[in-house]
Amino acid sequence: MNLFNFALACFVLAGATSLAQAKPIAFSHGTTVMAEYGAGTMVEAQLFYAPKYFYSVGGGYLALESDIDHRRREITYARANYLVKRWNMEAAQANVFVWGGAGQAYVSESNDHTFAWNAGAQVDYETRRIYSSLKTDFHRSSQFEHRVDTLQLGVAPYEHDFDTLATWFVVQARNYTGGLHDGTEWALLLRLFKRGAWVEAGLTDDGKLQAMAMVNF
Amino acid sequence: MKKMTILLFALLSATARADTIEMKVNGLVCGFCAQGIDKTLRRNPATADVLVSLEHKLVAVSTREGQDISDAELTKALTDSGYDVKSITRTRRSLEAIRAEIGQAPR
Repeated sequence: MNLFNFALACFVLAGATSLAQAKPIAFSHGTTVMAEYGAGTMVEAQLFYAPKYFYSVGGGYLALESDIDHRRREITYARANYLVKRWNMEAAQANVFVWGGAGQAYVSESNDHTFAWNAGAQVDYETRRIYSSLKTDFHRSSQFEHRVDTLQLGVAPYEHDFDTLATWFVVQARNYTGGLHDGTEWALLLRLFKRGAWVEAGLTDDGKLQAMAMVNF
Repeated sequence: MKKMTILLFALLSATARADTIEMKVNGLVCGFCAQGIDKTLRRNPATADVLVSLEHKLVAVSTREGQDISDAELTKALTDSGYDVKSITRTRRSLEAIRAEIGQAPR
């Protein structure tokens, strides 16, 4: 069972799934800047502006490097994100996002630049004490095809409020297709956020750094 | 009779120009995500101060003297931030009094 199937099974078992990762849309007229370092296998930076609360536009840079044979892709893309559905419950929120975009990719094996497109989806469910998210991000060109699936499950030791620091302990499982990483990569993360600033960091099961920072304004 | 009319008018005016508007909001679980509410409401020139409480599922706005924000404007502001308004209540309580009541530090 690969990670994606495992994650889907978890979703069904839980009765709900959540993707409480960096949401690609902040709020109407809000800007989101995000940077992630993924244990040496991926580095990503994104900037999105949301004209409305249900869609945002922007772009990003994604570098993927195989820790098996050191093949490398550097993808620069423009992307649109769309909030398909949001459930605002009394003490919980759940979302479904999709996105798609296109850009240019550098491929190390051919030392060539090629057109690349991407598509993805994210679902999340969170309360003030539990958090879960599932995300799949697909990138394809004439020379490569990669999908990055990420499952996150988090728990907060206390319920934060609007003006207080939020603390979360998060378990992350990530699977790369296309020969970037062998097997599922696990990570334990500490996530902190307050107002519009968010940082998280931790270690993978290989002892590598996994970190992300994000600001909304 | 004239005094009664003036008293009634004053009472109605006070009710119509409430200082604080309290809104019960669904989906308030994340401070990072809810900051859009604060920013959107503060952009309104009639807004004096904003309170957001995740614990009480409450958003409260105090208005500048003699100014008001309509229910439609408030609902749009919350919707544009990605949330659902369940109720809107106008009160004479100050925002600081609400903060003290729910145990939120004064700003």
